[in-house]
Amino acid sequence: MNSRPRSKLIHLLISKSIAEALLVTLVAVGFYLANSNPDLRGVLDEANGETINGWAVDEARPWTRVEVQLFIDNEFVADKNAAEFRPDVHKAKRAEDDWHGFVFETPALPAGEHEARVYALLPNAGGTRRTLQLIGKPIRFRIEPKQTRLGFPPQKGGAR
Amino acid sequence: MEYSRPENGESVGNVIGDRALAGWEITSVVSSIFIAEWIASVAVDWTRIFVAVPISLAFVLSISSHRLRGETARDLGLRFDNFLRAIGLLTLPMIVTAIICLAIAWLTGARVDFLRWHISRPLAVQLILGFAWGFVQQYMLQSVVNRRAQIIWGKGWLSVLVVAAIFAGLHLPNPWLTVATFVGGVIWAAVYQRAPNILALAISHSLMTWIVVSTLPASSLHHLRIGFKYFGSN
Repeated sequence: MNSRPRSKLIHLLISKSIAEALLVTLVAVGFYLANSNPDLRGVLDEANGETINGWAVDEARPWTRVEVQLFIDNEFVADKNAAEFRPDVHKAKRAEDDWHGFVFETPALPAGEHEARVYALLPNAGGTRRTLQLIGKPIRFRIEPKQTRLGFPPQKGGAR
Repeated sequence: MEYSRPENGESVGNVIGDRALAGWEITSVVSSIFIAEWIASVAVDWTRIFVAVPISLAFVLSISSHRLRGETARDLGLRFDNFLRAIGLLTLPMIVTAIICLAIAWLTGARVDFLRWHISRPLAVQLILGFAWGFVQQYMLQSVVNRRAQIIWGKGWLSVLVVAAIFAGLHLPNPWLTVATFVGGVIWAAVYQRAPNILALAISHSLMTWIVVSTLPASSLHHLRIGFKYFGSN
């Protein structure tokens, strides 16, 4: 193989590598944007033995109610729309109206440490996939032995 | 350390040796297919068109490489003069593989059904489509990867095993399909080195896919899904 076609082949290989790197970047960014909502705002305010509450707003569509899911210790617990009365969120100019809060009743849990996470449910444009996006930060809370509503003695280490 | 700056386009060609360039070509073609399988195929709806980009780039590279290296269609295996010789070399391994597949079906109790390759398509049409798909795969595997592997390692078992390993790797993470394609890759790469004929290999590819799909337990093949799609349902 002569020098000239060889150099052409090398240039072609370099160009192809650059084109594919750009494609991979484009797909990665597109995938991120398609499966997350940069306009989602929300906070998980409180989690305890009684309730788990907070608020969530989609700033791109502030008149809609965000669907949220509660997970405790990485297990699904409940699903609802963030449509509870939260005038403080409206007053802080984070929402267009007073109805973007969520309140979950804490389920019966064994005594010990637990972690609550609330996610917003995001459907993609085609409706073929749904993804979860964490709202605020997870909150760890403790159920005391006298608080447990399970009706049997609490296990060691707080295992469910 | 000082690096000499290439003065013109010609001197760039002297920087990389023949074997390194062949290795780069193999890596580039394989990476395109991996991108298509693993990254671009996570796209849904109209964005599926992204899959065509790396595949098209691989074809542009392959065809340009043949032209720049002065390779003819005959060199690549697109010919008829050695067709019967290639078929003759393929016959025994294909019969042995078919017997092994039938034995596995018998041992595992799997139902043998030679019509289940595609439920809504006549078998003849599916075999023709299988031939076309096999032709594309065998062209990439043999006319590009095998020929470049021979530049690096020469003819023989080392280059044959490398080609088979690449072919099997492209079928990850499907475990049984990876094993089956490694075996097929060894047979096809070895036959190509003795009688380069892509038409014969494409026929063999289509027939062997039919045999494997018809005999091996359907659950173990996971509907021939590979790459990212192996984990999904659409």
